[in-house]
Amino acid sequence: MNAKWKRTLTPYLLILPNVLIYFIFIFVPLLCVVYLSFTNYSILSAGHWVGLSNYARLLEDKLFMGAVRNTIVFWIVSVLPQMAIGLVLAALLNSKIKGLPFFRAGLYLPSVISGVAVSMTWLYLYDYQSGPFNAALKALHLNPINWLGDSQYALMSISILGVWVGTGYALIVYLAGLQSISQELYEAASIDGATRLRSFIRITVPLLNPMTFFIFVTATIRSFQVFDYVYVMTKGGPLNSTNTIVNSIVDTSFAQYEMGYASALSIFLLAITLVITLINYRVGTKTLDS
Amino acid sequence: MKKAGATKSLIYVFLIVITLLNLVPVVVMIFTSLKSNDELVSGSFSLLPKHWMFDNYRQAMESGNWALYFKNSFVVTVVVTAGSLLFNTLAGYTFARIRFRGSTMIFVCLLAGMMVPAQSIVVPQFIIMKSIPLFGHNDIWGQGGTGWLNTYFALIIPALSGSIGIFMARQFYASFPKDLDEAGYMDGLGYLGTYLRIYLPLSGPLMATLGILKIVSVWNEFFQPLIFTNTESMRTIQLALSLFKGEFTIQYNLLMAATVLVSLPMLAAFLLFQKQFVGSVVSSGVKG
Repeated sequence: MNAKWKRTLTPYLLILPNVLIYFIFIFVPLLCVVYLSFTNYSILSAGHWVGLSNYARLLEDKLFMGAVRNTIVFWIVSVLPQMAIGLVLAALLNSKIKGLPFFRAGLYLPSVISGVAVSMTWLYLYDYQSGPFNAALKALHLNPINWLGDSQYALMSISILGVWVGTGYALIVYLAGLQSISQELYEAASIDGATRLRSFIRITVPLLNPMTFFIFVTATIRSFQVFDYVYVMTKGGPLNSTNTIVNSIVDTSFAQYEMGYASALSIFLLAITLVITLINYRVGTKTLDS
Repeated sequence: MKKAGATKSLIYVFLIVITLLNLVPVVVMIFTSLKSNDELVSGSFSLLPKHWMFDNYRQAMESGNWALYFKNSFVVTVVVTAGSLLFNTLAGYTFARIRFRGSTMIFVCLLAGMMVPAQSIVVPQFIIMKSIPLFGHNDIWGQGGTGWLNTYFALIIPALSGSIGIFMARQFYASFPKDLDEAGYMDGLGYLGTYLRIYLPLSGPLMATLGILKIVSVWNEFFQPLIFTNTESMRTIQLALSLFKGEFTIQYNLLMAATVLVSLPMLAAFLLFQKQFVGSVVSSGVKG
């Protein structure tokens, strides 16, 4: 009897550490953030119920809507080039070339550097006075650009850095996908007289659909959480032109102590992520079925 | 045939150019860290330093208590990696090999945690950290003190759980034959014994994959330390690097020296274990 009980209980004990941590640091906070979003709680004073007013304020909040717009721009401008460049490079690397480890290492390297270190490096590259980018522009007799100091360019500059960091990931996943495609398909196509470009578009790209989809979703979710670069390089400036959703959440909760309102902003981020993940799940199961 | 050869050369040239361009920021980071102040303010740019100032590294490290920051990052990375590997593989094994009531439901709930962005629950997490009873001068109701804020607990405990880790471990252990569990049972081993004696020794590839993912993410983590700590004694290297800028009017050579040192462990590990790094990225993505 005792031994049987032990065998019944053990599985629960084995998963207990994970379940406990998950419960305290994800599940409870998730419930709390929903509740807090209906209050005006601040770390400085106990809050009270304010109904939907945080959400009403959110929709009217020009600063936050600007952050949403900036995040979307960053998403589009950084994710699409990552995927396109990653795909082309992966296809070239897959064409039986020598020195694959060298190319792969050189192209994936930025992904192992921390967000802060990447930011610091690009802070120098972009520096108006002494940065190499402007030195190169001057050498070409072009006007220097205030990459991070001009609200017209700052978001674009940070997006370029996003492409530099993210391309390696797309490349690696695409390369793995390409290596799993059977060579016989291409041989058959070439017997039928298809050119390499044509068989790339007709055979390779469709077979890579699951990878494309996966990279897209992962990179999208990541780009909606962009924070490190912005926090380190521009603090959201100049003129809030690089302020992002997460930057707003951090600023609202830990600089202005409006944790109730920050919770409403968090729910906004959570909702976007959930929608993307659900679309992922729907389309993902469809592509796997077909 | 000649045409194919020409295409191939073109591909090589293209790949070499792109790879070198891609490495420019890293190369600039390294060479700038060795330049003198005079050269940086002179306004003319050259890739290689005129004088190689290795002393910049000493100066950069003397700008703060960097030995302490490295120790903090090292402790957090080691403990989180070891702990999460144990907890995640143990849970993955349990979900894969043991049938128990509610297992599917619990597993799905844990997996759903993967979808929650850490940044979206940071406000309540902060409040919970602050309210852990009996820590940081808190009373038994979690009031009056700072709880786990500014302690290793804040940086370690939440990171020990991991939906992706549990999921990948479950996938890994699900592929073994049933005979293994029966052999364990015959030998009088319990579930934990079966895991420790039979499955753990077979877990090398899984440990490598999960370990690499965790080490890189914890070493490079910025958000959690930024929110949950604010004392110098708890400062991690990423936090210290982010604060480096403010301590002087930016001295890029010293800043780059600090950046190189903070990045070096992961760069070196990647170059040494490239195959394993790439493998873990792929298996976390494609299979996961």
